[in-house]
Amino acid sequence: MAGAPIPHAGVRKPVLEISGYSLSYTTQSGPLHALKNIDLSVEHGQTHGLVGESGSGKSSLAWAILRYLPDNAIENDGGLLLSGESLRDRTLPQILEIRGRRVSMVFQDPSTSLNPAMRLGDQLSEVLIRHRGLTSREALEESEAALARTGIVKPREMLRRFPHEASGGEKQRVVIATAFACNPELIIFDEPTTALDIITAQQILELFNQLQDETSISALYISHDLGLVSRVADTVSVLNAGEIVESGPRGEVFSNPRNDYTKALLEAVPDPKHWLGISEPPPGTPALISAEAVTVEYGRQSRIGQMLAPKPTHLGAKDVSLTVHKGELVGLVGESGSGKSTMAKVLSGLQEFDGTVRFGDQDYTSLKKIDRDYRRAVQIVFQHPDASLNPRQRVREILSRPLKLYDIVPPDQRAGRIAELLEKVRLPAEFVDRFPHQLSGGEKQRVAIARAFAAEPELVICDEITAALDVSVQASVADLLVNLQEQTGTACLFITHDLNLVRQLAHRICVMQHGRLVDTFHRDDTERSDRNPYTRALLKAVPPPASQAV
Amino acid sequence: MLVMGAAILGPILAPYDPQVFHPAVRLQGPSITHWLGTDQFGRDLLSRLLNGAPSTIFFGLGATVLGVGAGSVIGVIAGTAGGWVDSVIMRILDGLLAVPELLFTLLIVTFLGGGMGQAMLAVAIAFTPGMARIARSSVLSIRTREYVLAAVARGEPSHYIVLREVLPNAIGPIIVESTIRVAFAIMIGATLGFLGLGAQPPSTEWGLMVAEARHFMFRNAWTVAVPGVAIAMAAMGFNLFGDALRDSLDPRRSH
Repeated sequence: MAGAPIPHAGVRKPVLEISGYSLSYTTQSGPLHALKNIDLSVEHGQTHGLVGESGSGKSSLAWAILRYLPDNAIENDGGLLLSGESLRDRTLPQILEIRGRRVSMVFQDPSTSLNPAMRLGDQLSEVLIRHRGLTSREALEESEAALARTGIVKPREMLRRFPHEASGGEKQRVVIATAFACNPELIIFDEPTTALDIITAQQILELFNQLQDETSISALYISHDLGLVSRVADTVSVLNAGEIVESGPRGEVFSNPRNDYTKALLEAVPDPKHWLGISEPPPGTPALISAEAVTVEYGRQSRIGQMLAPKPTHLGAKDVSLTVHKGELVGLVGESGSGKSTMAKVLSGLQEFDGTVRFGDQDYTSLKKIDRDYRRAVQIVFQHPDASLNPRQRVREILSRPLKLYDIVPPDQRAGRIAELLEKVRLPAEFVDRFPHQLSGGEKQRVAIARAFAAEPELVICDEITAALDVSVQASVADLLVNLQEQTGTACLFITHDLNLVRQLAHRICVMQHGRLVDTFHRDDTERSDRNPYTRALLKAVPPPASQAV
Repeated sequence: MLVMGAAILGPILAPYDPQVFHPAVRLQGPSITHWLGTDQFGRDLLSRLLNGAPSTIFFGLGATVLGVGAGSVIGVIAGTAGGWVDSVIMRILDGLLAVPELLFTLLIVTFLGGGMGQAMLAVAIAFTPGMARIARSSVLSIRTREYVLAAVARGEPSHYIVLREVLPNAIGPIIVESTIRVAFAIMIGATLGFLGLGAQPPSTEWGLMVAEARHFMFRNAWTVAVPGVAIAMAAMGFNLFGDALRDSLDPRRSH
């Protein structure tokens, strides 16, 4: 379109045009620059992907467009134009008219963006009544049609449900239907699939592409996930610390990045072809730990409780048997609720279970039998860096605890050992005096890893340890883990939902679904056609690494 | 600060003897000689206020410390033990909570007899179930945090887990609640004084001052307003103090 100048006034203005826009927040410790001199435009009928890590300012930009900024926000006089009209000089009533009618937004987590006390149908038709002036009967019919377009099988029934009666994917479909309902000029998607399961996310993405084709709506698609953006966006901007460091057509940015940050970001995206793990233990290596027919029943009651008010129990894991050999890294993959964290809890001695856990030549048949030797030898690292360190203890105290508890080194050598541990996880020695809140997410996770390795364990269970981290940090944490494994020969059970990541690290992969172990295979056999159908579905749903997606 | 200062130095600073009657200057408004006016017996209100500060503050603090202490211990036990111990304790507390606090206090005072110490104990006992409930819910929310799970998985002894991992992080809501309770305690103390079950005349306890002055409220509002405002200021002071205390105890806020 840009090539041939058309003489008549048919050249459409970009739906969204941002020029020289800066935003900062006044805080007690001085101004915080969230966005610096942003230039960005979304052309008619196009999807613009905005990629950035947490804290890059991508959500601030979304709020700025919707004119929903906190009181301490300070803007420069940069332009925010919606179809050529400035959004900045609108009064509040005018903005309210624009929100939902001309610009709508889809948030990350459908379970918090829907009102739990309102039926889905009412929430959807409310928008239609307000912005398109329909009567409630018309709105309800229109809602049904809108839901049908999003691929919901029984839209009429769905309209009568409350949010808690729908699944995450269904809720997100309702949110998307609401966003499309008034045929707005621009829809802002803020990480719309991040809170969803792998396969559901894939379906939502397909839905997005399909609706985009049908309606040729313009969209600003905000995400931290390069793989995702590469599958939906026509043009891409990369945001780093409030500045757009690179922007251009998708193919150019992904295949031929010019900026160093973009390059680093692309390299950090997990790619199964790029092996990071340590060499595999030779065949015949003895098993270190094995779970045999482990079953976990949640909500089990005492006999009296059962008689008084019986409640249904629910199986967190059913007949799961898996083995980790010495020095091996086993990946445990599954969607949320598949039982993978339940297994982590069983193996780390946090959850009552039926069945047997065999460690070395010792059999453990219940939670009570798990002793201190076992607890020392099996350490766990949790998902949330913010929650896994006690906020009131300094790093020194956190790391000295396992040393003291298991008497790893005599008291006079503890300080030295803590310094060594910090060095091993590539943190500066002066971090011993810090509190967890003075560390970044990646640094906290390193401390948690150091704490696990302080016990000189034989197995480290990593429960989604990279899930809460940014892509670039995630890569370095994975690298660190492999490095420590190499030095210590510790085996690892790596639990994750990220198949691409686990294929870079694991010698063998176990797949769980609905509490059962459905597949176990060697990494060389991943792509074989006789894989379990669920495994194949998972593999198909993971976004291919950005480098291939052009 | 003002209130605490008054509590410590009050009796020394008081310009007049708080107990001596001066019938000539009854029910006067504020003046240069009597800064806050006088009451129905011509006693200087400022002097009485300053004189009453220690006992009033002591009553509030004492009742709260006792109630919070007992409540926290019970709540932490219930929250940590879980299972049937938790169920039994909580059902008993639910029963006690169903009785209005003031009524509950009156009941206990009837058992213990009137007087300052008894009233304090009664208020403390009445506070216990509510505090236990708050302590328990706070413990429950901390107990499932990953750092606590990490400690359990390490095989830490349970006293370490409760004292070092759970309690320091669960204490915030307890402190905030207890500073609000100090103000409550002062008011309940005042109510008891009013009913003749707490501090006895001619004590200068602030609640009692309000009670004694109530007959003259329409003729001379000062006599009620002075101790009333003092109570309100004390309550506000303790709330602000609680906020500051929580902030300074929390490493995330103190830097």
